[in-house]
Amino acid sequence: MMNAVMIVELKKHVQDKGLVFWIFLLPILFTVLFIAIFTSGVDDAMRQEVIQSIVPGYVVMFVFFIMISMVQVFIKDRDKGVTARLASTPLKSYSYLLGKWLPFMFIVLFQIIVLFLFGKVVYDISLGEPIILLILSLFITFTVTAIGLAMSLIVNTENMGIAITQIIALGGAMLSGLWMPLEMLPDFMQTIARFLPQYWAHQSFQDAMAGTTQASELFQTLGVLLAIGLAAFSIAIIRYPYFLKRAVN
Amino acid sequence: MLTIQNVTKHYEKAEALKDISMAVPEGTCYGLVGPNGAGKSTLIKMITSIIRDYEGKIEFNEQRISDKTKQKLGYVPQDIVLEENITASGNLYLFGRIYGLKGNKLAQRTKEVLALIGLSERSKDKVSTFSGGMKRRLNIGCALMHNPELIIMDEPTVGIDPQSRQYIFQMIEELKTAGKTVIYASHYMEEVERLCDDVAFLDRGELIENGLVSELLQQYAIPSIYIKADHISAEQLESYGDVSQEKDAFLIYTEEALSAMENLISYCREKKIDVERLELVRPRLEDVFFRLTGSNLRD
Repeated sequence: MMNAVMIVELKKHVQDKGLVFWIFLLPILFTVLFIAIFTSGVDDAMRQEVIQSIVPGYVVMFVFFIMISMVQVFIKDRDKGVTARLASTPLKSYSYLLGKWLPFMFIVLFQIIVLFLFGKVVYDISLGEPIILLILSLFITFTVTAIGLAMSLIVNTENMGIAITQIIALGGAMLSGLWMPLEMLPDFMQTIARFLPQYWAHQSFQDAMAGTTQASELFQTLGVLLAIGLAAFSIAIIRYPYFLKRAVN
Repeated sequence: MLTIQNVTKHYEKAEALKDISMAVPEGTCYGLVGPNGAGKSTLIKMITSIIRDYEGKIEFNEQRISDKTKQKLGYVPQDIVLEENITASGNLYLFGRIYGLKGNKLAQRTKEVLALIGLSERSKDKVSTFSGGMKRRLNIGCALMHNPELIIMDEPTVGIDPQSRQYIFQMIEELKTAGKTVIYASHYMEEVERLCDDVAFLDRGELIENGLVSELLQQYAIPSIYIKADHISAEQLESYGDVSQEKDAFLIYTEEALSAMENLISYCREKKIDVERLELVRPRLEDVFFRLTGSNLRD
């Protein structure tokens, strides 16, 4: 049953040109633009260092924008009667949520792979530990889409979802050192960064790219990402009955 | 048989349904009528278990509505709930899969349903290219994929052209012939009168009356005589029954419509009144509806 919902969702996403803009074109445009700005007039060594930071930074920042699409899908389902209609069938609520959620996980994972490959082909970034990069990608995918799922079931309107996504994506990017080295930020902001998934993902991506991953640090990052993702998923499960109630009314 | 026993539903302080009890016999078409806010959609959402928190009991074939009994129910919502960017077949596949159909069985049933709803030729077209009537038919088709025993339709003909409406009526007649039970909620009295064997009138969350359509017509609707003639006034007609004016004609409501008509013909001949049109008007369900619920606006 879940597969049926998932296949339809995937078909819809494949046809969604807006999604292509958000997940591929915009991140690539920003990456190219900011690399051009930050590497002008610097030597080759510095240039490569900046690129090694900007590429994973922008990957981590832009994966969060998937939350906008998630909010749109759930709010549309709720308001157009799809959620209520499916509740009249034998489809379990968890099958409905997974059927909607998993396609977004595939998309985000694909997005991360494409953006890293873009970095490799165009800027010759180092992908020192590709398996670890893949594991990290899976975990950040889970975390981001779980937060997106929770938010989709909490917000009342699409606009509210878009606003919160901007705060999480852009605010989180700034506080986590995705835009500039973390060391340049005040101490209290560096402390806040440790509570944000973007910080952990970015640090570990950089280590994996450089081939300097420490097992303990990797597990710490995976643990943090998993914990945040599970917390968000739990919120989504708790929130679903209220979402359904609103869908029915 | 579907039985609804002492069902009550509260929305915060408001009571949406008050102690509703009724039974929908197997193989019948059961009309559910009432003004806006009467509680029709709420009741339907309870039957389909979209709304689960209510007092009372709803059973289908003596079993509480569960995932098992849901397999026997098909729900046609008032809104068109279709995936616009996928094909007609894709939408039917989705619902078929949700109800556990697979492989050849799913493909075969999709073909059958497409033929039933008259969309075989458009099966590979995206729903976004369909007219309102085609979408309505597909909306019904999605509810029929698992060949349910009970089909619940909430305003299935809203906003469509007469041809599509006619086609939907034929589909419902075919479902009845196939022995299916249909619950049909509508604002359109003539549809309910045409399709349904039984009817329940809801108003302000209460069951006002229910029973066979024919019996309720007999019990509540008064036949009338329509007369359009030159130089005739309401005062002249008052002795034949209750008179109401309809544009440039009159309607005379009387239980003894035939004898009143005979007397009226004699009167007109005697007074040399030039009658343009004179006919007996069959009682309508709409009359019963207004008699039971009144004609005041509800929202």
